[in-house]
Amino acid sequence: MSLATWLLAHLPQSRLPVWRAFAMLGTAALQFALAGCASWQIPTEVDDVALRARAVSATEQEVQLSATVLSAEDSRRMFGVDVNGTGIQPVWLQVENKSPQMLWLLRAGTDPDYFSSLEVAWSLHAPLANADNAALDEHLDRLGFQNPIPPGATRAGIIFTNPHRRTRLLNVDLVGQRRMIPFTLFLPVPDEAPDVGLIPIRQRYAATEAPEYADPDALRAALERLPGYATGADETASADPANVVMIGELADIGAALVRRGFRRDTMELDNAQRLFGRPPDIVVRKAGQGGVPANWLRLWLVPLRYQGQAIFLVQAGRPVGGRFAVAEGKDLILHPDVDEARNLLIQDLLYSGGLAKLGFVGGVGAATVARPRDSLAGTKYYTDGLRAVMFFATRPLALSDVQILDWIPLPNREGDLDAEKRNAQQ
Amino acid sequence: MSFIRRSLLVLASTAMLLAVSGCALVSPPPETAALDFKSRAISRTDHAVRVSTSVLSADESRAVYGAPLATLGIQPVWIEVENRDNAGYWLMSSGLDPNFFPASEAADVFASGQPEIEQRFRELAFRNPVPAGETVSGFVLTNLDEGVKMVQVDLVASGRLRAFSFLSIVPGFRADYRSRKVLPGELHAPDEIIDYTDDNAFRAALAALPCCVTNNNGTRNGDPLNLVIIGGLEDAFPALVRRGWRLTEETWLGSVTRMITSALSGERYRYAPVSPLYLYGRAQDIALQKARDNVHQRNHLRLWLSPLRFHGKPVWVGQISRDIGTRLTIHSPYLTTHKIDPDVDEARAALTEDLFYSQNLNKIGFVSGVGVASKASPRGNLTTDPYYTDGFRAVLVFDAHPTSLAEIDFLPWEGREGGFVRSIIREPR
Repeated sequence: MSLATWLLAHLPQSRLPVWRAFAMLGTAALQFALAGCASWQIPTEVDDVALRARAVSATEQEVQLSATVLSAEDSRRMFGVDVNGTGIQPVWLQVENKSPQMLWLLRAGTDPDYFSSLEVAWSLHAPLANADNAALDEHLDRLGFQNPIPPGATRAGIIFTNPHRRTRLLNVDLVGQRRMIPFTLFLPVPDEAPDVGLIPIRQRYAATEAPEYADPDALRAALERLPGYATGADETASADPANVVMIGELADIGAALVRRGFRRDTMELDNAQRLFGRPPDIVVRKAGQGGVPANWLRLWLVPLRYQGQAIFLVQAGRPVGGRFAVAEGKDLILHPDVDEARNLLIQDLLYSGGLAKLGFVGGVGAATVARPRDSLAGTKYYTDGLRAVMFFATRPLALSDVQILDWIPLPNREGDLDAEKRNAQQ
Repeated sequence: MSFIRRSLLVLASTAMLLAVSGCALVSPPPETAALDFKSRAISRTDHAVRVSTSVLSADESRAVYGAPLATLGIQPVWIEVENRDNAGYWLMSSGLDPNFFPASEAADVFASGQPEIEQRFRELAFRNPVPAGETVSGFVLTNLDEGVKMVQVDLVASGRLRAFSFLSIVPGFRADYRSRKVLPGELHAPDEIIDYTDDNAFRAALAALPCCVTNNNGTRNGDPLNLVIIGGLEDAFPALVRRGWRLTEETWLGSVTRMITSALSGERYRYAPVSPLYLYGRAQDIALQKARDNVHQRNHLRLWLSPLRFHGKPVWVGQISRDIGTRLTIHSPYLTTHKIDPDVDEARAALTEDLFYSQNLNKIGFVSGVGVASKASPRGNLTTDPYYTDGFRAVLVFDAHPTSLAEIDFLPWEGREGGFVRSIIREPR
């Protein structure tokens, strides 16, 4: 049964008697006068045909997941109000469970700060409109995704999430008895310019262009030869350092990032950074508390592969000021202590369940506090010159499963500090 | 962020910058403060690794950093790791507080343009790694907790996790967490404690617990007791800390004042007061909050230590609700209260799902005992918020050894097919 037919069968409100429509109109007028905003009315054309038509699907272990990000128009049609306009990105999901096990969708894995249906409804309540508000609650609640998904059953519904820009990295973790089925889908975000960079990323390099490494030592040498930093648009000015390498399938890397609250969001300034002759393929941000400027990761696919897996060269950075600097524009200035951003990213991703191995290689080139290196727009940074190399896996891993490679001994910052002190004294 | 909220924040941070830049920040930190916090450090040893921690008071952090960190809600935690193991360890700052402050972020506001102070912030920060055979100490800057702080130190080496949990008293603050009673002291006399090792008997005992919290004289029922947490300082608390749960401050007037300030500025404020609810004739033993975007959105968790034990582990009975806004009420002396999500099962599911990512959740199951309240005839809590529920309580069993997402057990208790509760309020479509 489709969502639409189900709704038709279960929503008596969609066949409103005339008197009730008039009453609602009256209430609406009153509310408009009181609150200066339009009242909510139950949508008459609720269907998910458009969502199904645009859905992206994947199948893993006898389970099919389909998903679509709702446009503002979808949102108005299905909810009777533009939920997207309130800073929420509704995502339609359908899980078809052909496995013999009951499954449960972990919404915290899709968005650690997702909104409940009634929370969204409450924020849209109009004053002095109890009947309408109750109907709105009922409506959004019925549209929400419901756990669990019994064997052989199909469940569809909405999850109200925080917005991703342009392409949504959708992570869906389904769990069952001692079992987990993770999905990562790449969903186009409607009402925004098409995302030209992300989808063809896996076809960017032909096999001949991307040499395959099987040996860890050879890989390490190759990673050290990668550019130490990006350039500006004219490819002569040096830009931010490429201080992280991520190895794994994009889906696994994306899942780890999303579980830790990173969201897809490219700003104009990101495109000034160029590696391999192009701006970053993917940019994700992790919002700080209270919506203040976020840390960022800029990823470029590298023309190398390791044991069949993709390799990304990454800039991990944090803006100057962080939570306490809310002035416009300040969110884009690189904080000079880039090693701190790198090391904290490692710690964050260790909790993602997606990190399998970790190591350090050279290649960035050291720059001391006393003699920082220039980046774009007058910014400077200092670093121990190492890049963190993270290997991602599909199989969920606990903290105690992560292997630390003894490539370069973990950076000893005490020595650097002594050097800094000496430099400061000179 | 709204224009007003942003403007207020800018104003506040500008004022703060002006205030701190005018201070004599370059004065060297007095040694006495440093000695004080180290002298009350608590230590624990696991195999060859010894960890000591101490949480700084507002005065101590000002003395050590030469900057009033507490004014911006920043609280340094001192950590020393003595590593006599054969591998290097990394300290996980996000384990202490998922919203911790990088040293540079604090330095940006307190030491901007003052290289000596910036360097002091860098030097004071805990520096990874802790190489084999060495001792490393330093500070992690966390969000301010008052009264008692749960300090979770996760140390990761190759293929190894050593987790250390501390309840640390913060000097100079009060809290509704009654540390003297619950931990480490004994709330129950030995003959009151019943330790269950049989699953079915334990399940029956959990189902027989009261449905709901009450008011202070036990005459009215309030929110449903929809949660059972099994574990303690070594396993359940670390899970909660890693997912951003914090102990709350006692309900007192100062806190209310600050909640109002917080609502104006829109800043995330973790100390909106939690009203006392009652079970076993006493207010909650522990009240926790998880702040979300701002004061209007936070989840509340209240726990009571029961006289039950499960394979020796403490059994906490509790109540979880999701705030979806604030509303006026005459049932609270503050005249405002949190509007809770009437779908309390959603809040229960949200907590459960979130704790899947905590590393320590080992088993999950459901038992009855709350009693069904349908959407059509909901029950009311003590502030007359309506709620409805399928009548089950979630039972979460924690273990100190980390469990991957793919290894969590579903206890075959209530529900069908391996312990899943099927909502009986909302028929599946």
